[in-house]
Amino acid sequence: MDATVHSPHPAAARSLLFWRPTAPTGLAGWLTTVDHKKIGFLYGLFALAFLLVGGSEALMIRLQLMVPNNTVLTAQQYNTMFTMHGTTMIFLAVMPLGAAFFNIIMPLQIGARDVAFPRLNAFSLWTFVAGAIIINVGWFLPDGPPNASWVGYAPLTSKLYSPTHATDFWVLGLQMLGVASIAAALNFIVTIINLRAPGMTMMRLPVFTWMTLITSFLIILSFPAITIALVEVMMDRQFGTNFFEVSNGGMPILWQHLFWIFGHPEVYILILPAMGIISEILPTFSRKALFGYPIVVFSGACIGFLGFTVWSHHMFTTGMGTVATAAFSLATMAIAVPTGVKIFNWIGTLWGGHLKMRTPMLFALGFIWMFMIGGFSGVMHAAAPADAQQQDSYFVIAHFHYVLIGGSIFALLAGIQYWFPLIVGRQVSDDWGQRSFWVIFAGFNVTFSPMHFLGLNGMPRRTFTYDGNMGWNTANYVSTIGAFILGLGIALYFVVIIHAYFRGRPAGRDVWDGRTLEWSLPNPPPEYNFRVIPTVHARDAFWYEKQHPEEVAREASAHAQDEAAHGGIHMPFPSIYPFVASVGVLIGAFGACYHHLPGSLLGGGVLLAGIYLWSMEGAEGYHLHLDAAGQPIADPSADPSAKP
Amino acid sequence: MRLNSLLSPLPGWGRAALALGATALLTGCDLNFWRMDGHQSTLVVDGPVARSQLGVFYVTCWVTFSIFLVVGGVLAYATWKFRARTASEEQAVPAEQGHGNPLIELGLIGASVLALVIIAIPTLRAIWYTADVPVADKANAYEVNATGLQWWFRFEYPAEQIPGSGPLLTSNELVIPAGRPVRINLRAADVIHSFWIPKLAGKVDMIPNRGNSLWLQADAPGYFWGQCAEYCGDSHAVMRFRVIALGPREFNDWVNRQLAPARTVAPADAGASPAPAAVVRTTWQRNEKGWTEQFERDPLAAWRAHQRPEQAESPALIAQGRALFQSKTCFTCHVVRGQMAGGSSAYPDLTHLGSRTTLAAGLLENNTEQLARWIAHPDQVKPGNKMYALGYLPNNIRLTAGDVAALTAYLQSLK
Repeated sequence: MDATVHSPHPAAARSLLFWRPTAPTGLAGWLTTVDHKKIGFLYGLFALAFLLVGGSEALMIRLQLMVPNNTVLTAQQYNTMFTMHGTTMIFLAVMPLGAAFFNIIMPLQIGARDVAFPRLNAFSLWTFVAGAIIINVGWFLPDGPPNASWVGYAPLTSKLYSPTHATDFWVLGLQMLGVASIAAALNFIVTIINLRAPGMTMMRLPVFTWMTLITSFLIILSFPAITIALVEVMMDRQFGTNFFEVSNGGMPILWQHLFWIFGHPEVYILILPAMGIISEILPTFSRKALFGYPIVVFSGACIGFLGFTVWSHHMFTTGMGTVATAAFSLATMAIAVPTGVKIFNWIGTLWGGHLKMRTPMLFALGFIWMFMIGGFSGVMHAAAPADAQQQDSYFVIAHFHYVLIGGSIFALLAGIQYWFPLIVGRQVSDDWGQRSFWVIFAGFNVTFSPMHFLGLNGMPRRTFTYDGNMGWNTANYVSTIGAFILGLGIALYFVVIIHAYFRGRPAGRDVWDGRTLEWSLPNPPPEYNFRVIPTVHARDAFWYEKQHPEEVAREASAHAQDEAAHGGIHMPFPSIYPFVASVGVLIGAFGACYHHLPGSLLGGGVLLAGIYLWSMEGAEGYHLHLDAAGQPIADPSADPSAKP
Repeated sequence: MRLNSLLSPLPGWGRAALALGATALLTGCDLNFWRMDGHQSTLVVDGPVARSQLGVFYVTCWVTFSIFLVVGGVLAYATWKFRARTASEEQAVPAEQGHGNPLIELGLIGASVLALVIIAIPTLRAIWYTADVPVADKANAYEVNATGLQWWFRFEYPAEQIPGSGPLLTSNELVIPAGRPVRINLRAADVIHSFWIPKLAGKVDMIPNRGNSLWLQADAPGYFWGQCAEYCGDSHAVMRFRVIALGPREFNDWVNRQLAPARTVAPADAGASPAPAAVVRTTWQRNEKGWTEQFERDPLAAWRAHQRPEQAESPALIAQGRALFQSKTCFTCHVVRGQMAGGSSAYPDLTHLGSRTTLAAGLLENNTEQLARWIAHPDQVKPGNKMYALGYLPNNIRLTAGDVAALTAYLQSLK
């Protein structure tokens, strides 16, 4: 992650208010960075830390349920654990891990030098961190962390039934994560649409970039629903409005509709990036182009679209009536078609290839198997009458952990292994990576397959205790043992990765013989990514480059001259104001949690000041000139007020 | 001793851990796991609604299992067949670098749609079948209103009116006629709950401001376990209930007993000092099991036994308990119909508490020991419950062991 550019910034000598930070490294460097790779790296670090937090919460849950009538946790502690486990894993681990990949990989795949709005990107990151702080701050305060479950069904979240500020932390925290996600998603959409290298047509986009685009659209279309729902809860709690207040005619069912109109697309927000990663890894390690590229892309878009038509399948037991139940049942089954298409095409990709069985490939194949099982139990839920027995039972727990761990997490772990050599410049030990895969794979299945039987045997979810006469003892005991094996596997995975980060042997360029543009870069990629913006002639652009070196070299030198004539490589200045604005959001939300007007106003003031100064300092940057080897050369004519 | 010698390389703590693990695994290994016929099994069911839902589940199982065999088989074969076995094979580039085959894609999409149609048809039939009592049976259906509250269930029998006090009310144990469709109107008084008796019918939520209903039917007389299936706050896990299905005559007898006011034990020897209370356990762990094996063996027989007065009743102790029920302000919330004025339907009706098999919403068996536990430690049995939070705490209620024994005797006498 070292920036190769050390030329002094002319901007350092500006007036105090519009001072542009220049520190390339150190704390100041990280707080002010606008480099998409560094921001993505931070997203990844925070996400992995929260993965461990959420995992520890899961282990506490499993410990409590290991035997009937257990007393490891009190009822309140247990309810807090599952609420925080769900919230943490979805919003603070899997989503930001996806954002980390979007940030780091997507611009590299389309031949861009950064995202479209680098400072907005920094604001997204720091607002996400602020939201994570607010959601978790209850651990350190007397009110405790949120405990109304990750779906927070009204009216349980009302002041009457959740009198402490714990629910306010949850409401405000999620609201902030929504702001961060929407800002980031807009940034990615604009980047993909506008910053593609010449020749990178939409139907040449790598599938991961396609899934980034679709996921980003899902985010900007679905988050407004939960934003509204959260505002309504906040109004009910803080100003005594009646959106969900039953005694005044409020409708608790409204929350469920709004939540799931967000919540179901959210499921695809978690899984589509994973599918994108898998669609990159399988071709690379099969040494073959993706089978059925257009249909894989189209099925991804189809899943995203249908994702908005099925929210009420989370509500089959709310008494929607026969016609609505039937309609949502059939729509949900329809999603199985594009999902199945993806699996067929992945198998088609393997067919006739030369499969390199390395760690990323193992995780990718594990993904297909586990996702298939999770998909099948999903079809079972789609059949509404069967779902009447499965809803809110452990069968559902089994289902969504198969798609979220066996699906999303496996793919994200695969992605880390796959791109690690590129991002960090070091190789991960493949032997140890494979070992960690098998421990994770075994632990995962031992944990979650018994839950199918628990659910079918009538064990409801979100219960802190159960009696020993229900036939649930064995499955719960086995599941807990599995959870600790899974925990061990994840720990091993982290040890392997951390070891590789500090001690791994240096990775050569293009270690996997990759097919997409990011592999054309040296590792770690320089701050400016591409010395010369590439010209794209085909899908699998880098694969084509490797087949046609002369053509590519000719174009590259022409491009380089062109760019030099336009003043060199334009780089944006770092900025502290996105961070300042996010600190304002944090202060304001904290004030709002405690219904404390001066605190909220102060936060709002800092936010406004941050945004104001951010817009006044301007989108300025500086120019880099590189020699043929990619080393920056001193440029006496550097223009401090260069416009992009 | 061979096992011991095998384990000898292990350190002491290792052997201990292994022994502990093995013991726990063996003792925890109940046959129910393999038979899948627990009290709340959705696979071994006792009524037409649950059976219809199970039928759909089996269709989805067979269809998805067949697809899994085919797709999984192809995936496994492809992985095995095309695995690079040598370094040179890894480096070689496969000849074909095509981008797909539209005919194969269309065929697979068609096959997927067909498989879904196979699932969709029984799904649609079951949606309409399970939605409401079949028209032909409507006249025969018995109606009950069920309300979910934090953390118990109230059952109301609109067909059984008590002169001067409205419909018959009971809590946490729903008694229904067997072999007859029962339509249950579902309401919630505070937050969302969900009404689930797995062996009889899938769940339907109880949502404030929303009129839901479900129907079910028990094939034969029986005793069924039910549980709240929507997270509803602190004690959600222990918000349970029971359903007792009875033949027509037995059901009628039950209704008639319930319509009567609370049973009053004549204070035959009111002047004499109360008989000494039976010695019962007073210390309990949180979440400790609250049922006996004897009850577990035949719960319906246990239910029938509960309909008769206790054998060793002490009228004096009962009279003392009744006085305590008033002096400790229990009556301000709980109705004991015909004995004292006060109470409301927002709290469990105790008129015939002694005739129920369970306490604290299906959590504890209704016996002297558990009743004493529930009265003495309501906060431990059911975290956050209102009896403790709104009754014991503000009224500063403290109960001696003698008080608990007297209250227990009194409540058990309410048949």
